[in-house]
Amino acid sequence: MRKFLNLLKKEIKELITLQLVISLLFTVTLFYFIGSIVQSEVKKIEEKRGIYVLNLDDSQESKILLDGLSHAGFEVNILDEENKDKAIEYAKNSDINLLIVIPEGFGQAASEFQFKDIEAYSFIRSFSMGGSVNAAVVDQVISQINEIISNNFLKANFPDLNPEDIKNPIQSKGFVVVKDVVAEGSASEVSSIVYSQSIFIPVILMMVIVFSSQMVLSAMAMEKQDKTLETLLTVPVSRKQIAIAKMVASGLVGLLSAVIYMLGFRYYMNGLMGDITTSNQLNDLIQRLGLQYTSADYALLGISIFFAILCALGLTIILGVMVENLKSAQTMILPLTFLVMLPYFISMFSDINSLSLPIRVLVMLIPFSHPFIASQNILLRNYDVVFYGIAYMLVVFVILIFICGRIFSTDKVLTMKLRFGKKNLLDR
Amino acid sequence: MGDVILKVSGLKKNYGKVEALKGIDFEVKKGEIFALIGPNGAGKTTTLRIVATLLTPTDGKVEFMGYDLKKNPDKIREGITYLPEEAGAYKNLTGLDYLKFMASFYAESPRDVDIYIERAMSIIGFKDRLKDKVGTYSKGMIRKLLLARALMTKPKLAILDEPTSGLDVINSLEVREVIKEFVKEGVSVLLSSHNMLEIDFLSDRVAIIDKGRILEIGEPKALKQKYSAENLEEVFRRLVQ
Ligand SMILES: Nc1ncnc2c1ncn2[C@@H]1O[C@H](COP(=O)(O)OP(=O)(O)OP(=O)(O)O)[C@@H](O)[C@H]1O
Ligand SMILES: [Mg+2]
Repeated sequence: MRKFLNLLKKEIKELITLQLVISLLFTVTLFYFIGSIVQSEVKKIEEKRGIYVLNLDDSQESKILLDGLSHAGFEVNILDEENKDKAIEYAKNSDINLLIVIPEGFGQAASEFQFKDIEAYSFIRSFSMGGSVNAAVVDQVISQINEIISNNFLKANFPDLNPEDIKNPIQSKGFVVVKDVVAEGSASEVSSIVYSQSIFIPVILMMVIVFSSQMVLSAMAMEKQDKTLETLLTVPVSRKQIAIAKMVASGLVGLLSAVIYMLGFRYYMNGLMGDITTSNQLNDLIQRLGLQYTSADYALLGISIFFAILCALGLTIILGVMVENLKSAQTMILPLTFLVMLPYFISMFSDINSLSLPIRVLVMLIPFSHPFIASQNILLRNYDVVFYGIAYMLVVFVILIFICGRIFSTDKVLTMKLRFGKKNLLDR
Repeated sequence: MGDVILKVSGLKKNYGKVEALKGIDFEVKKGEIFALIGPNGAGKTTTLRIVATLLTPTDGKVEFMGYDLKKNPDKIREGITYLPEEAGAYKNLTGLDYLKFMASFYAESPRDVDIYIERAMSIIGFKDRLKDKVGTYSKGMIRKLLLARALMTKPKLAILDEPTSGLDVINSLEVREVIKEFVKEGVSVLLSSHNMLEIDFLSDRVAIIDKGRILEIGEPKALKQKYSAENLEEVFRRLVQ
């Protein structure tokens, strides 16, 4: 045990290089910056509910209209210009994005139920995210105005009725069904919430697997490149311990890097989507449907992820035996990354069950698919698939460890090589 | 000088179609320095790697202190240390970390580690740089670090593949003295080298090896006499040509 800890300590020391620390810091800082830029953009957009109004009509009707807009949450600023051209000129020179012009005689016409068009001027000053939001604000303003006018009209003529009932006499009642639970709610809201709350799971998973594999491969490659492996293998410690120490150290350092990346990434996502706050009602619904990971679910998912990482480490240490230097390690990581990316993308954009049979079998054969599959099926309470996946990964891991043990206990660990390109005769 | 500590007999090794060793026999006695000399590709490194438990022989037998290489590689690893040719050390560790890491596999107690480190430091000679990362060391410094680690535990048998390669004249001289000193204290040494002068000065017995076979074994003096040569280089040339 003491020898093992000693090995582990050395592996971790070797893996946490200045290079790794710098690249981690760099990425996190980058995420942080993008995140804060996006966040301030979003804030700017949210502040865009301020509108400027030139009221050329000074009637009761237009006053009611403007009050209604303020009520609906728009920040209404009245411009004090004598005509439209001057107001436009003024808006152009100041920072105004949206100018609404209420024409002369609007109130008079409205009282006779004839309407004059309201003009809306949007000032495009850039093509950033803010630009398109401007247009959306115009639509909101106009639809709000229509709402106000028609509601007032209906109230005046049918004082006993609720204007909403007249406009939308029938409303749909949505239900969501998950397994044997039925609950009232909107399917699209439910899926978008579940999606946004569980999206980070496959991302973490992919990062941990890719990072840890990269660590094992580069650890093996460095041992070979510097010929330190030759010394290590003559030391009185079992080869199994050497291999396992490498795997554990790489798993730990890979996990650590993934967590650090994830923190940066989360900040970035928060900037992009705002803090995901959901109404109590929706939370209730999701709980009732069981679309939330319980602690037992998390444990199950954790086990699934853990076995996927073990498989990845087992596979990479075998690949690591075949690499000669860091360069060939990089070539080797590519197909492995692909093996992880494939189920990742499939689970992000489609449903594994909807694939054709041969492709589905292929995807199921990749051990890394199973935690992705599990992350969705645990929510849907299809536990069979999850357990099957874990069992399958366990079998794969045992086979990999067996192969790894065989390789490490023979001289193949030194002589086995995969060659890329031409054979080099001068090379031993 | 008496008991045989290492006995190699009928050793063969094929790499695919390449017959690197075609039947090698020799013995290393307790407290002696035994050298393998031979041209490039003769099979020196292959022999040393087999004895160091890194390679499995295609045929033949290796016995170390009564243990069979095939059956008890673990027992053999406890009694030997191996210095590979052209090897490095972990770049991200300091020299001291490296020595501690290696020492801990042989030490029975933390006290042993201190003793080993102390010994290594006296071999290395650049104590002030031991707290720097190995990545900043020169080739010669790394070589001395590795040699120090091979000797610091006073193994029963130190297997040194070209111990002075890459070292300057002064450092080579120092290293040779160090090896001799350790032998006096009970370490046996099996080494390989290209440097005939070095072998002449250092070894008690030499084996001249070429194309996977041993051509001659004996004390340098006896060999020189036998071939009425001035030095080992001449003996070597006569045999190999
Ligand atoms: N891994 C390997 N694969 C194939 N052939 C090998 C391998 N290692 C060594 N050989 C071959 O075995 C023979 C002996 O090589 P070895 O390294 O033992 O020679 P050496 O005496 O140490 O030479 P040098 O003085 O150059 O170090 C050579 O012909 C070499 O090409
Ligand atoms: Mg050699």
